[in-house]
Amino acid sequence: MTNKEVLDNASLQRALTRITYEIIERNKGGQDLVLVGIKTRGEFLAHRIANRLEQLEGVKIPVMAIDITNFRDDVLNHDDSLGLNDEEKTNIADKNIVLIDDVLFTGRTIRAALDALIHIGRPNTIALAVLVDRGHRELPIRADFVGKNIPTAQNEKIKVLVQEIDGRDAVEIVH
Amino acid sequence: MMQRHLILEDGRVFQGLGFGAPATTFGEIIFHTAMTGYQEIITDPIYDGQMIVFAMPVVGASGIHAEAYESVKPTIRGMVVHDLAEVSVNRQRRMNLDRFLKQHNIPGLYQVDTRQLIRHLRETGPQKATIVDFADEHAVDQLVATVLTNKQVQNTATPKPYANPGRGRHIVVIDFGLKHGILRMLGDYDANVSVLPYTTSVEEVLTLDPDGIILSTGPGDPRTLPESVLTLIRVLQTKAPLLGIGLGHELFALANGAELKPLPSEHHGMNHPIQEIISRQIFYAMQGQGYAVDDQTIDRKKLFVTYRDLVDGAVQGLRHREFPAFSVQFFPDAAPGPLEATAVFADFFETVEDYVEHYNQQ
Amino acid sequence: MSNTITNNKIKKLLFIGSGANNFGQEAEHDAAIYQVMPELRGHGIDVFVIDENPYALSLESLAAKTFWQPLTVHNIKKIIRDEAIDTVVPLFGGDVSLRLWADVVQSWSHGDGNVPNTLGLNIDMLLKVNNLPALTDFMAKNGLPVINNYVLKAQDEANELLRTLHLPLMVRALHPNQNNTRHIVERLDEFEDTINLAKSQSVTQEVIISRAINGLKEISLEILRDVRGNKMQIGASEDMDPIGIHTADSLSVSPILTVQDQLISQMRDYAFRIADILQLQGVMHVQFAIDDDDREIYIIKVSPYIDQMATRMALATGYPTMLVAINLAMGIPLEDIKLPHNFGTNTAMMEPMMDHVVVKLPVFPFGELAEAGIDVNRQLNSVQKSVGSTLGFGRTFIEALEKAIRSAHFNNASFSPTNMAHINDDELIQQLIHPQDNRVLLLIEAIKRGYEIDELAELTAIDEFYFHQLQHLHKLESEIESDIDSITSLRRGKKYGLSDGLIARFWHTDFNIIRTLAKENDIRVTYKAVEPSAGEFPENARQYYATYESENESIQIDQRAVLVIGSGAFRMGDAASAGYATAITMSELRRLQYPTIIMNNNPSDATLLPHLADKQYLEPLEISDVMKVVELESPQAIVIPGNRRKLINALRDLNQRVIVLPKEKHMPDGPNDRQSEFALNFFFDGQNRYLINVTQHLAGEMRIIAHPTTLSDEILAMPLDNPGVYQVIWYQDTVRWQKQIHLSTIGNGGSWLRPMPYGQIAYLTKIMQVPWIRLTIRAGLNELTTQDYELLENVDSMRASERLSMISADVNYQLHLQPTDVIDGTKFEVGVGVYDYGKE
Repeated sequence: MTNKEVLDNASLQRALTRITYEIIERNKGGQDLVLVGIKTRGEFLAHRIANRLEQLEGVKIPVMAIDITNFRDDVLNHDDSLGLNDEEKTNIADKNIVLIDDVLFTGRTIRAALDALIHIGRPNTIALAVLVDRGHRELPIRADFVGKNIPTAQNEKIKVLVQEIDGRDAVEIVH
Repeated sequence: MMQRHLILEDGRVFQGLGFGAPATTFGEIIFHTAMTGYQEIITDPIYDGQMIVFAMPVVGASGIHAEAYESVKPTIRGMVVHDLAEVSVNRQRRMNLDRFLKQHNIPGLYQVDTRQLIRHLRETGPQKATIVDFADEHAVDQLVATVLTNKQVQNTATPKPYANPGRGRHIVVIDFGLKHGILRMLGDYDANVSVLPYTTSVEEVLTLDPDGIILSTGPGDPRTLPESVLTLIRVLQTKAPLLGIGLGHELFALANGAELKPLPSEHHGMNHPIQEIISRQIFYAMQGQGYAVDDQTIDRKKLFVTYRDLVDGAVQGLRHREFPAFSVQFFPDAAPGPLEATAVFADFFETVEDYVEHYNQQ
Repeated sequence: MSNTITNNKIKKLLFIGSGANNFGQEAEHDAAIYQVMPELRGHGIDVFVIDENPYALSLESLAAKTFWQPLTVHNIKKIIRDEAIDTVVPLFGGDVSLRLWADVVQSWSHGDGNVPNTLGLNIDMLLKVNNLPALTDFMAKNGLPVINNYVLKAQDEANELLRTLHLPLMVRALHPNQNNTRHIVERLDEFEDTINLAKSQSVTQEVIISRAINGLKEISLEILRDVRGNKMQIGASEDMDPIGIHTADSLSVSPILTVQDQLISQMRDYAFRIADILQLQGVMHVQFAIDDDDREIYIIKVSPYIDQMATRMALATGYPTMLVAINLAMGIPLEDIKLPHNFGTNTAMMEPMMDHVVVKLPVFPFGELAEAGIDVNRQLNSVQKSVGSTLGFGRTFIEALEKAIRSAHFNNASFSPTNMAHINDDELIQQLIHPQDNRVLLLIEAIKRGYEIDELAELTAIDEFYFHQLQHLHKLESEIESDIDSITSLRRGKKYGLSDGLIARFWHTDFNIIRTLAKENDIRVTYKAVEPSAGEFPENARQYYATYESENESIQIDQRAVLVIGSGAFRMGDAASAGYATAITMSELRRLQYPTIIMNNNPSDATLLPHLADKQYLEPLEISDVMKVVELESPQAIVIPGNRRKLINALRDLNQRVIVLPKEKHMPDGPNDRQSEFALNFFFDGQNRYLINVTQHLAGEMRIIAHPTTLSDEILAMPLDNPGVYQVIWYQDTVRWQKQIHLSTIGNGGSWLRPMPYGQIAYLTKIMQVPWIRLTIRAGLNELTTQDYELLENVDSMRASERLSMISADVNYQLHLQPTDVIDGTKFEVGVGVYDYGKE
């Protein structure tokens, strides 16, 4: 197994910065914006983007984290709590949500997240931001904000490393 | 070498030895603290019509090289240094500074107490100056009577469109006195470049169907340019990703309603920390500016500040809220200067890619 | 410096010093540690330091709890345990400290509790930095241009490698047991011997072989990185001498003059990337080999810790590197570090710019050794031979060079301009290809004899810029020589840094005549500030250098000021002790609240630390340099080392108040391995003599041995001029430590009086906890207090904090110098440490 770095620390920061700028462009003024990170790395990325928005605009955008490990269509026993508390659940109603994940692959994770969000809160809009789009979609899902398109082979894996867990920021291809 | 003189408008006279051309010239004198890249600096069109004093104590030791020209013909009016390094012209160094200035009829002055001169200029700000053989009353009168041109953009920008073909994205550069570093950076991305004069029309640009647009660097005060330039920018920024650099940044700001103010002291160098506000990251870049965008006049509903100089607080970058249009005051082409600033071009091309992809999907 | 953010996790912090001075290791680490201790105290941190060097100033700092002990894993662990140390800073002690700390960490066991936090580098990276092949691989994996290393154990593997690699090759020891040494193999028949030599220097008997890149240009960059990944360049230098000559032995120039921006920017980018992959929080020195023509760059050495480059760049630029470095190590972001008020802008983030040239000139011990009848191999190569260095500051390369030469050789006739006249053409060519210490003179001689510049550039692999400069210097000198008493020539000569003394030699007169002539013709010295904005911002600079320009920036600081004349570069014998004595002097003057001015040119000791003086003159120390400063500052007193007799007399002739730090003109010989040197030590306050004790000195070791009760009449009758510490010396043929001394043996013809060498004063100061140099200064200024007299009258001569002897450092003279004879480790001391004989 070899790891090849495809996004170094600086490029990863730049990608998050660009996503943030694009979120501003499409959500004028950032009103009613809520960032929802898909656990675990999506959550950290959501916080990074929220920090950037705060640096830039001086406003705190709410960040939530959802856990959809029990919500995928290929997993039985749906638990629809998503790890959100009741207050958070009501808070997404009529909001403009940006759903954030590290890697977009088959689309099944995103679909599960979309189902769950619509199920519990009826947001106004939902957009999708991913750090890496690696292709091989199995569902008609497209990201609105993409940090980096990295075409991959089926047998390759994309590993997103974040400072908070891995001690450094990088994206690697493992094969 | 012959004794010559630098006379400032305020009457100060500095003695030195002449090198380069024995010409008498007039220009606005500024000082530069960069310790590398004298060749790039003296050939950069942003210094059109100016005289440059270098803080770097010894200048000329690395010669003159084909790959470090920032314009085909330098248009500075003079160069003042403390020590001029002689280097012979041979296989490795095919040109030296002295010969280069002679060829372009630019006078140089060395063995000047440049530290004294710089300490003086930092108090007075830039002023008119002349390099002459004799510092007599006649020379002073001539200096006082001389009116310096404010048509530097006209002097340096291309009058005709030209192409710098590549196989990648199509980038249109609007030329206000473009430095080569920008074309070199675009070349690194294999961009297919069309350079248009700043007098171009919206139609001419859009006919070329650009994937991205760059407003180039350039000399002088952007407020002397016709209003049509601002109109052009206001339309173009809605059509494709746009990047303004240096003078291009100042024009982008003006086009979006902001105003310029003179800096308390001009800044020419590459040692000020610049902060990217969104990430708080600090980096360094070549800077050369007498004006900065006035913070107070920025319409926050249209623009936000992206970069700031942490020494003087000056705005170093802006971004439009609605369009993928942004600008930087500093020079991200690293010619000369730190490579870390070239990330701006990476940003631009990523934005272009995004835009193209988005466009194709719609 | 004040900061809003402090790392609350740090409560007790330990510095590991760098130990005895050695080739390549002067006092830079001790100076750095000493400088930052008060800063840490300001953060409310308890500071601890361990070092074995008797000359360590940090061991006398009031800002720390100090441990003067041999630097061993055992001692470090014990301090950590006893004091509940939570944080260790190895990076300030350089590679010695780094290696020690790595050893401590690797020998850590469960029972030892938690490993203290390492500041600056995490443990993984620290171990990598300590293992050259691993570091090289790591950089190569990250796309950085390194030169491949091959690690070998057996000779036949090495022979195998010869098939694939072409000569010249570079051979180094893996896990070296001392400072890392590079050997260059140019001929096949040297190969085996070199491998064996390198093996013997390796703890693991392994060697690293790589392609040698002799002849390329060597560039050094000093950069820093903070916890957020922000990076900044502090300074850079280029070596005039090509790769193949050890960088410490090279003439080095800042700023970089002969390299294009594009290459410099590329190196900067590489250095930044290295700092990123190491996740460094601190400063780093990266050395590159570059080929200007082919535009190739190789990374040859990475030193993410304080070294001589760090201290040199701090002086050359005026940037407070050490204070910033300790803040970075504590995790304070660059943005939040504020500089002291004397900086024009108080942000630490402005990259320093230079409007002056700084030349570093190595100082070699060849002259002194030759006087003692010892010949050494003078050919410069990849093994360091220099023992110290000086800086010359000027507005041109020539001026800086001239001043550096004068700083390095102010009492050395071997730098006379006519010195090379005798050499024949064959020798000249040989020496051009295989340069020696005096190569600058040789290069000028070659120009004199009409060699073409491109020919010389080709032969020596030195950039032709330097030959043009030397040609210019040669022309200037000839012009002056042939144009006696010409004011125009004098003016030009002064502008390019030629000293009054040198011009006097050309005109066959005395330097005083030249000085007067210059003054009469309004050729006046000007002083320019060394400050990091290069004139962009108003500054309250404290550092100045002389040049001949139109504007002078230095004005008299205070009529009550005391001027201290430093001792210049490290030399054998004096080693670090002279710098120690000067620094303590300054510290005492500051304590007594005298505004203090220092003149010195040694970048590698504490004398030029910003907080030890109100004003610094970074200058040569010849009489005329000192006189010019004296004229401008009119100090109330001048402190001078006792060996500068001409200077002392010249100043006394001018009715200046001179305070002498007693010192012999030459470093005295030490005992040979069959005898003991005994010293009866006493303090003289200008009036009375106060007995201290008796010390015994065997070759390589010194102890306090006895406590006599009185000084004999004979000693009381010996005439003395200046207050200070003195000793009566006698020899005995014994190599046993004596318990009793029969004072009757003293003074019987075979004994003599001398000032105590600074090194012994440092030892007695630490072991007895009596501040002998401070007392000397107080006596010189009539500032001795009642308490001082009480102390002097009741000196407990056997009082010692521990049973520690002072021992010679393990210096490999053979490796560095290949001497023809045994080198006296006292007269030619390089460094000393301590030995705990309480365990005997």
